[in-house]
Amino acid sequence: MSMPSSFALQQALRKSFQHLETNQKTWHSVLAECNPLVGSVGNLAQQLRALSNVNISNTPLKAFPDLQERLHFKLVQALDIVLEKLNEKLVLLQSVRDSNSNHVTAAFQLYERNADTLDLYACTQRSPVAPSIADMLEWLQNAELYYKQQFLKRKTLLHSLRPDDLSLLESTPKRWDSLETLSGEEYITDTLFRVSFFVESHKGE
Amino acid sequence: MEDQSQSSDSRKCSAVTGSGRKLKDNAADWHNLILRWEKLNDEGSGVAEKIVNQRLKLSPGEGATPPPSAAPPSCSQLEQECTKLLGVVSKMAAIVTRMERLASSQRGVLELEGFQWGAAGRGAPLFHGWPTRLFVELSQGLLESYQKELALKQRVVQELAHTGPLDVCMVYLSCWLYQPYIPADSRLTLEALLLETGHRAL
Repeated sequence: MSMPSSFALQQALRKSFQHLETNQKTWHSVLAECNPLVGSVGNLAQQLRALSNVNISNTPLKAFPDLQERLHFKLVQALDIVLEKLNEKLVLLQSVRDSNSNHVTAAFQLYERNADTLDLYACTQRSPVAPSIADMLEWLQNAELYYKQQFLKRKTLLHSLRPDDLSLLESTPKRWDSLETLSGEEYITDTLFRVSFFVESHKGE
Repeated sequence: MEDQSQSSDSRKCSAVTGSGRKLKDNAADWHNLILRWEKLNDEGSGVAEKIVNQRLKLSPGEGATPPPSAAPPSCSQLEQECTKLLGVVSKMAAIVTRMERLASSQRGVLELEGFQWGAAGRGAPLFHGWPTRLFVELSQGLLESYQKELALKQRVVQELAHTGPLDVCMVYLSCWLYQPYIPADSRLTLEALLLETGHRAL
């Protein structure tokens, strides 16, 4: 009875996991591109801090009275450019999150539509090569949650930055790195391993 | 090779002569000089960073104590890097000298125009719409910012290897890298100059 709908659902799940895999790669590469940018935020903050600690008129540079404000302007301008680039990366991360969410939602909608024909047995049945539908739906939901939270945390971090709050800027690289949760990433990788046979099977159909 | 043929082509096409020719060539020279300056600046900031790092290793101040055996070879290295940076600054000084010559030749063009056409200036503009006076003013502005920047760099290169606190070193480095005396819109000025003289297509 439930064979056709469970087959369609399995196909949708297969697709979702394939997308999860490409999304994971994109996510990683965007994050890798962010690292040098976040590093420069910290670096520029250090330079701004050094500038605010130094009284130019007490240094050999006293012949340049307007140096302090000029250099400050240039540093803030450079910071602005870096933050803008980071914002562009954030948009990329957002699109990864969205595309992931879309696929997961599609799989869930398909499940809900067919929930009547799918009995408990069909949802929890597993085989050596394919996990149960219930398990896979749960993994997808967890992965979706992970990307949502990751994106929000990173966005909040970047949006909290102010050019006059040096300590916040200085701690940015550290806090950015601390958002990287190894367990979350491992969960996604584990999930992909667990479904690898399932995704590989019926690929041609 | 290609560049040469391209530039000779554009010369033939535009067929500008006299004052226009002079101003157009000057605009190209400005562009090349500023490009060379930027290249030297990048080269110099790498060297300056090395100098500060080595100096911090030699006299780390309050922090950790350096391994004593490492000190003597770094000294000669430090000197080497300083010489390199001095070389960069002297090349920059040569660029500024050429910029001065450009600005003065542009003033000459304006004076010639005053001599030929009187105080009212020529009737039609040399290129798209700028009066000759504008070329002189813009190039004077560019020249002044590069002169100031050069003076700052000359000061920095003298002090870089001597000064104590870390913060001051950091300020020297940011001064070198971010060129506080070159205004943010100088790039725009240059592009406008290139547009007006026809080096960039409208």
